[in-house]
Amino acid sequence: MSLQPDVRAKRKVDWRETLFSFQSFFGLIAVFVAAIVFSPRRNGEILFLTSDNLFNVVRAVSEIGIIAIGMTFVILVGGIDLSVGAVLGLSAVGSAVLLVHDDLGVVPAVLIVLAVGLVFGLLQGMASALFGIQAFIVTLAGLQIARGLARIWSDGQGVAIAYGDGPNEAPVTFSLLGERTFGGVVPIPALIFAGLAVLAILFLRTSAFSRHLYAVGGNEKAARLSGVPVNRVKIIVFGISGLLAALAGIVHAGQLNQGSPNDGAGYELDAIAAVVIGGTALTGGRGSVVGTVTGALLLGVLNNILALNNIDANVQLLIKGLVIVAAAALQRLRPTS
Amino acid sequence: MNRLGKGTSDVKRSIAATACLMLAVTACGTTSQNSGKGPATPAKCEGPGGKYVIGMSQANVAEPYRQRMDDDIRSAAAKVPQFEVKFADAAQDNAKQVSDVENFLTQQINLLIISPNEATPLTAVVKKAYDKGIPVLVLDRKVDGDAYTSFIGADNRDIGRQAGKYVAEKLLPNGGKLVELKGLPGSTPAQERSEGFHETLGSKVQIVATGVGDWLREKGQQQLDAILKANAEVDVVYSHNDPMAEGAYLAAKAAGRESKIKFIGIDALPIPSGGVKAVEQGRISATFTYPTGGKEAIAAAKTLLVDCKQVEKKQTLPTQLITKENAERVYREANG
Repeated sequence: MSLQPDVRAKRKVDWRETLFSFQSFFGLIAVFVAAIVFSPRRNGEILFLTSDNLFNVVRAVSEIGIIAIGMTFVILVGGIDLSVGAVLGLSAVGSAVLLVHDDLGVVPAVLIVLAVGLVFGLLQGMASALFGIQAFIVTLAGLQIARGLARIWSDGQGVAIAYGDGPNEAPVTFSLLGERTFGGVVPIPALIFAGLAVLAILFLRTSAFSRHLYAVGGNEKAARLSGVPVNRVKIIVFGISGLLAALAGIVHAGQLNQGSPNDGAGYELDAIAAVVIGGTALTGGRGSVVGTVTGALLLGVLNNILALNNIDANVQLLIKGLVIVAAAALQRLRPTS
Repeated sequence: MNRLGKGTSDVKRSIAATACLMLAVTACGTTSQNSGKGPATPAKCEGPGGKYVIGMSQANVAEPYRQRMDDDIRSAAAKVPQFEVKFADAAQDNAKQVSDVENFLTQQINLLIISPNEATPLTAVVKKAYDKGIPVLVLDRKVDGDAYTSFIGADNRDIGRQAGKYVAEKLLPNGGKLVELKGLPGSTPAQERSEGFHETLGSKVQIVATGVGDWLREKGQQQLDAILKANAEVDVVYSHNDPMAEGAYLAAKAAGRESKIKFIGIDALPIPSGGVKAVEQGRISATFTYPTGGKEAIAAAKTLLVDCKQVEKKQTLPTQLITKENAERVYREANG
């Protein structure tokens, strides 16, 4: 009998916890509704809601979304990965050089680029986990190294991708990344983003690895004592982040028909913003890929509606900054368990 | 029959709905105006009675030259009552600029002006606009292929040639020692401004040093600091843009040699921090205008939309030599 109130209190906390874990989802709905209300109209048609426009939104956030998913894994263990934008640039350059200058097929080129991203991430993870250097420092260095490598690999210039069967032309299949499917409506990068999001969500829900992930992020010492292979978990999450940044780089090159060493500058910050808006705690141990995906879509819808209303570019930056602060502030209200 | 038809459309609808769910988009489109790629049909011209929305997609307004381009467009368009111009800034990001143009298409603009961040990445989306029948004016930097209405820009090689001729004929007719300060390596303007210059410079002038200043004032200063230490005699510094020439001037001043050296720049922006003022105030001896094309773009838009006439596929803007004699007048006229 005396247990009753306790149980009820606990249930109440759980309920609030659930509400907060869907924070970004409510945010997305709010922004979405605002976008409909403020959307410019033409002949009674709400321009924001046209299918062309909605798919533009998903296409525009697909690269940020892909690297934000990788970033979520890193942040869940209490780390951060500042190198993703530069790795994206490196991979875009790598794709272009391998396809155009080296005349490789799509499959080997993609596999090599993904491997480069994976190894780059794993090495950063090792430097961080084995030598005990903070992830911030390691990946800040990684950012410089990846940019440097991208400049060297491309001779400091954008490598344009021309399609065809001849020498110094990329196979036409690669150009699919810039195309749309289902009757020319759905952009391929949006599909890749969506597919990857589903995979990552399932992986986090079902795998044993994900329990280790949350354990390390929640309390590293306790996790270590209870036999979780902390170092291995840390190295793997950086590997995942590098791999996904490389994938985003491939998508980037395919969408823009070019790999340039300056590509992806600042994308790491957009990705972190998506993760934070998605309700993942920067201290680790709490958060989800679902949140990150909604966070990325929220940023995308926000960008889109500001652009459709021709809000001044400088004011746009201001509004986006305020939204990030608001999302972080809401997190402070979240019950700590 | 009817029922069957309805049944299949239900199936189709549920497939579409599933696809929507898969994409994690909370709502799907109300219309599907997903257009085929038709040939470029010129927009129906409504003449002076119409109202026209123009989208201007800028690569990076953080550069003074591009800010001036937007300003030129704004002030020229203010004189055409039928025009409303919307501006977007890609902040040097190709992907952002693609989205900017897509957003303009959603807003159903009547004409697109674009100054691309880079050629290849923007080509596809420019073609998309052009294929929809929207006239496209490309400013300063080109796109690949010819799926646009008109390109408006200056000729960097020609500006280089004129600078070379000016040095050879006016500044150093009896020969002398010259330093060249180059822009960002790999960028087309840096290449063309250098090649044109060497075509007309002649053999009497000796190039004693070449520095790379990446278009930046501070880099120009650093480079010339070192070059002046290594070379006791320098008569002319040819800089690929005005900010580097200003930096070079500061370096020479620090070495106490500014009165013995003549500085030549390019761009001649008629803004307070620009090259025209620097010439007027005597820091730079001469500069060559690199017009933004903003005014000309609005004139072309007027020809296309209001006068219902065609424009040339390529419009090359002439450069103008700015010296102490005309600097004050040019500045006044450009801002009048």
